[in-house]
Amino acid sequence: MLVLNDVTKSFGGSVAVSGVSMKVPSGQFVGVIGRSGAGKSTTLRLINRLTEPTKGRIGFGDLDVTALSGPALRDWRRRCAMIFQQFNLIGRLDVLDNVLMGRLTHTPGWRSAAKMWRRDDRAMALAALEQLGIAGLAAQRADNLSGGQQQRVAICRALVQEPDIVLADEPVASLDPRNAKIVMDALQRINRHFGLTVLCNLHSLDLARTYCDRLVGMAGGRVVFDDLPSALTESVARELYGLEANEVMGREPAADFAEWPAALTA
Amino acid sequence: MAAALAVYAAGLMMLDISPTRVWHGLGQLGTIAGLMLPPSAGGHFLLYLDALGQTLSIAFLGTMLAAGVALPFGFLAARNVVANRMVHVLARRSLDTVRSIDVLVWALIWINVVGLGPFAGVLAIASSDCGSLAKLMSEAIETADRKPVEGVLASGGGRLMTIRFGLVPQVLPIFASQLLYFFESNTRSATIIGIVGAGGIGLHLYEQMRVLEWQEVAFLILMVLATVAAIDVVSRRLRLAIIGRRGA
Repeated sequence: MLVLNDVTKSFGGSVAVSGVSMKVPSGQFVGVIGRSGAGKSTTLRLINRLTEPTKGRIGFGDLDVTALSGPALRDWRRRCAMIFQQFNLIGRLDVLDNVLMGRLTHTPGWRSAAKMWRRDDRAMALAALEQLGIAGLAAQRADNLSGGQQQRVAICRALVQEPDIVLADEPVASLDPRNAKIVMDALQRINRHFGLTVLCNLHSLDLARTYCDRLVGMAGGRVVFDDLPSALTESVARELYGLEANEVMGREPAADFAEWPAALTA
Repeated sequence: MAAALAVYAAGLMMLDISPTRVWHGLGQLGTIAGLMLPPSAGGHFLLYLDALGQTLSIAFLGTMLAAGVALPFGFLAARNVVANRMVHVLARRSLDTVRSIDVLVWALIWINVVGLGPFAGVLAIASSDCGSLAKLMSEAIETADRKPVEGVLASGGGRLMTIRFGLVPQVLPIFASQLLYFFESNTRSATIIGIVGAGGIGLHLYEQMRVLEWQEVAFLILMVLATVAAIDVVSRRLRLAIIGRRGA
């Protein structure tokens, strides 16, 4: 169980995340929704401590995540693998080496520095690539891959970390619909087959409704909605997203256009 | 504008520069150019070739030594590697100091320290270049993309691993290209410092000028020109090969 207790992060004067509390049981697929700048990314980055909380406590089981440092912090980051919007691969390295970044905490420094990966680690990385249907790309340079392929490599990197949690920060925001589906399906498979907890920031409400067990809505750095996807009524969604509502709910904007002339002449 | 012209005129007067001297000199220049034809090795071709080889090795070893010294300083002076302000301000300042002394001055200093010869030349090139190289390297590191670094960090990589995998693959081709450029320009520098006694072909160039063997001077200049041009071509190819592997 991942527990966030009154977690706050302020950058200088502005508060990005304000008093967020939630409990995430193991194995849940949680979608974090809200408009851009609502504090979704920061919340995820607070969990793996890429960003330091200003205040509050994050715990996982008996582990006090907020107090970790050094090797313990690195091992925690291994246990909560992150998937980024922009994939964050190493473009000039090949796909296999990129996936093997997920084994860094298991590998002595001299070995990884010389890229002398262990045989079973390589096998594990290849198996992960195979699961996502891109084993044939193992020897390719990462920056020669399409966005969808790169994101799948990033998922493989996350998988070989043998994590308990996967933090996905807008994983499909830079992908076309087809690739978005492939990547979301992969995340769902990870969640169902390996029982990993998934925390996924999503901009699109349709995707959130399709894939998530539970939705957490954020606005202005606060949690304003936390319930089953079916409880997210249209009026709540409008409140969450404001002017962006039509865009994220995947509806035709025609209705809006029809209202424009009236609004302009009024 | 008027002030600049006045300063310029005053400078010409003070340094005793007059059109008549240039005019007389022009005749002299013509005579020398005439004496240079045809360029001839005067039977010393192998000796000169050997000296040219020495000049090239001075340039090569000097560049390599500079790179070796510059590498750690480049990382120390980069803001995204060393968070401590003191450390990188200190690193920056010391690099600037070293950089502001010309290679010829370094050559004269090292000749007094280790004696005449190519070793002094290597040290001179290394000391004058390590500052500039480290500065360029640190700038390449600072402009590197932050995303791969975060990728490695989020996978549980420590500080050294984020540098090894997040930064090094990004900056290595830039470093290589910088080194090639420095090697190119150091071939020219190595010729000059040879004149003050730091080994190589410059020494012969100076000697032949003193004994007024203009044909041999012309030959030596042509040798240097051909070499620099050849290095230019080769290093451009190498640079393209290193940078342009994408899409292969």
